[in-house]
Amino acid sequence: MKLGRLFSLFLFSLSITLVSMNVQAQEVYRARLSPMPTTPQTVTDITGEGEVILTLNGNALSVEGNFSGMSSATTMGHIHNGPPAQPGPVVHRLEVTAASSGNISAELELTDEQVTALRNNELYVQIHSENNAPGELRGWIFLSSHFDS
Amino acid sequence: MKLLVDIRRPGLALLLSLGLAACGSESPSSVSTTQSAAPVVTFASQVEAGAEAYATNCAICHGANLEGSTLGPLLSGFSWVRRWGTQTPTLLLGNIQASMPPGGNENITEEDYLNIVAHMLQVNGVDGVTEALTASSNFVIEDSISRMVAQRNRPEPPAPEGLTVSGNTEDFIPFIPLTDAMLRDPNPADWPMMRRNFYAHSYSPLDQINTETVKNLQLEWVWNMHEGDSEPAPLVYNGIVYLINPGNVIQALDGKTGELIWEHWTGPANRQDMRNIAMYNDKIIQATTDARLVALDARTGEQRWETAIADNTKGFSNSSGPIVADGKIINGLGGCSRYIPEDCYISAYNANTGELLWQFETIAEMGEPGGDTWGGLDNVFRAGGETWITGSYDPDLRLTYWGTAQQKPWVPVSRHMTIYDVGLFTNSTVAVNVDTGQLDWYFQHVPAEALDLDEVFERVLVNRGDDKFVFSIGKHGILWKNDRITGEFIGFKETVFQNAFTNIDPESGAVTYREDIQNAQLNEWTSACPSSAGGKDWHSMTYHPPSGLIIAPLSQTCLENAAREIALVQGGGGVGASRKFFEMPGTNGNLGKVGAYDVDTMEEVWSHQQRASLHTGTISTGGNLVFVGDLDRRFKALDVSTGETLWETRLGTSVQGHPVSFAIEGKQYIAVTTALGGTSPRTVPGVIATEISYPRWGNAIYVFSLPD
Repeated sequence: MKLGRLFSLFLFSLSITLVSMNVQAQEVYRARLSPMPTTPQTVTDITGEGEVILTLNGNALSVEGNFSGMSSATTMGHIHNGPPAQPGPVVHRLEVTAASSGNISAELELTDEQVTALRNNELYVQIHSENNAPGELRGWIFLSSHFDS
Repeated sequence: MKLLVDIRRPGLALLLSLGLAACGSESPSSVSTTQSAAPVVTFASQVEAGAEAYATNCAICHGANLEGSTLGPLLSGFSWVRRWGTQTPTLLLGNIQASMPPGGNENITEEDYLNIVAHMLQVNGVDGVTEALTASSNFVIEDSISRMVAQRNRPEPPAPEGLTVSGNTEDFIPFIPLTDAMLRDPNPADWPMMRRNFYAHSYSPLDQINTETVKNLQLEWVWNMHEGDSEPAPLVYNGIVYLINPGNVIQALDGKTGELIWEHWTGPANRQDMRNIAMYNDKIIQATTDARLVALDARTGEQRWETAIADNTKGFSNSSGPIVADGKIINGLGGCSRYIPEDCYISAYNANTGELLWQFETIAEMGEPGGDTWGGLDNVFRAGGETWITGSYDPDLRLTYWGTAQQKPWVPVSRHMTIYDVGLFTNSTVAVNVDTGQLDWYFQHVPAEALDLDEVFERVLVNRGDDKFVFSIGKHGILWKNDRITGEFIGFKETVFQNAFTNIDPESGAVTYREDIQNAQLNEWTSACPSSAGGKDWHSMTYHPPSGLIIAPLSQTCLENAAREIALVQGGGGVGASRKFFEMPGTNGNLGKVGAYDVDTMEEVWSHQQRASLHTGTISTGGNLVFVGDLDRRFKALDVSTGETLWETRLGTSVQGHPVSFAIEGKQYIAVTTALGGTSPRTVPGVIATEISYPRWGNAIYVFSLPD
């Protein structure tokens, strides 16, 4: 019994340590979603806002977010690969509510290259809509702490 | 798409062509079966179709009746006819096709543009045309405006001219001429020139209002100004406030009470931006929006002399006034994007007579030094290099320092040039001898500019020990530090995120454009930061001597840019690009930023960021305060040391212009204007921060002080 209790204690300590390591390894990112490039002629056609929180554990990326005020129902959501303010290709698909307001979610496995891109602010979220097939909302992903100052 | 217009009533054709472009699925051949129904296209039918096309594509910025708005200039009335009456529909068509609408024109056919031109001509009184316009309609526009129609369509009664309110400042205070010595070392109580001193410090040593007392600041008086676009920089001398209003109207007000003393309408009575005036001895010196220079008696407002800076009918204009250096009135010039033999210049005039003393041309022509940097283009097609922001002056070196704007059109491929055709002396700091008008040195910050990001803004002169520097920030948001004796590059600091350049050489300051920007072709979109609203724009930054900080009003937006084709046709030209705008990544949607930079280390000491864009210059004071105003009607005082907001109030509309501080009878005042217009720095936030609302009127000057 004594050995058993010691072993239990060891397992408990190990789990705490692993959880702690896991917490330490977690990186929280954020993307502020705002309208795609617009003009005085299109400003009332490309609308909305949103926020996405992305949590990285190892190569696993958990995505949770919301959006509202879009001009029409969403059709698709993606993560793209491109440095800040420079469009790039789709690298992951996101689940989005098919409405003008709703939620964004995904559980993704990033490649090592994509993790590096994430840490270099070279990934962004883009939401497409019926009225704006090329995209209506967009936001580059930065460490959440980047926005604290 | 051209075929579509040939087969329908033009109005229907326009709608159909735009609709098809929007869905992008139907080919021209699929509708060509109705060709037999083609009606005859006439000028009248073009006018009808043009009204619809204008409403769809232009009215949002230029107003439903071409009356203009804060997003775009008026396209009707006397000033428009003056500007375009001597031109042809072909040139007007080319100008519009090259530049409008700013967001892109992929859905607009040449026929649509012709219809819009017809509509504009009709609204402006053209009644002598019956045949349909074509791309080669080369009649002189004003020859087709009958006197009766022109009279009937005049949108407003004749504006007042000359002195409309008589008075004399000597009824308030004895007049003392403003001498060279007083300009060189201004009385702490005065703000006698734009940015207060020759070095452009925008700094007042007054300290009654300070970090401890500013919380008690309260409104002393307010004065409504004339409506229109405006970025005013009031002058205050000997207790009198001299105020430039829209419409080229100048007023003198008692600084203590806000009482109007005199008012002079120099005209033209338009709504175009004008920033500043100057004072010398007993004269107020005014540059007008139609490129004239006028001197008024500072006591009475009566006109003393007038001279032309440039020919307004050729597109030249002014949006900034002069600096007076050793009795010479030195003024820049704008509106230099047209393909004509005349180029842009800085010019100097005798302050007593208005006599022209010298001109320095900012465009190097063939055979001149720098003339081989324009890709072999004929001189007629070398455009840009505007000097639309007032320069500064070092009386010891006898050099005046100016920024120059970029080449025009905005993108090398539109200019029929490459990224290697740097185009001297555009986008540079130029140091010009005030006695001779000769170029002493230049430093080209961004050669062959490619995104409408000019480096034209104020040059701030700073002495540190025996070292003499000149600082500037252009639309790229890069704080440049140069030796102002030699022009040698000293250092730089990126004040906002920029991705136009992949490298800025720390030794030479040479910039390397991103490859896709270097190679951008016609109608190819490139995405870059900052946008054409700047980084930094016309809002002056301040140098605070006690702390050694430059404190700058900055902007955080980005753009997508696509070059348009511009033919090398004499009389043509333009800016030639489509643009779209978006939030700058990583800024959390904060468009406005006040940044403080140590002039020795070039490091950012603090920043104050906010959603609303900033629309005034920054000024600093001996009370360790920075004052700045924004689009959201807020006027704020920040702590110079920390950037903390110590006081703020909310005014009638967007706070825009250049604050000043002055004193009368030992009491310190802070004055700031509210205003509309302001070009890109207003247009761009207007499509990004759409939740910010403010009245589209309410130009005024507000004066604050501490309780007695």
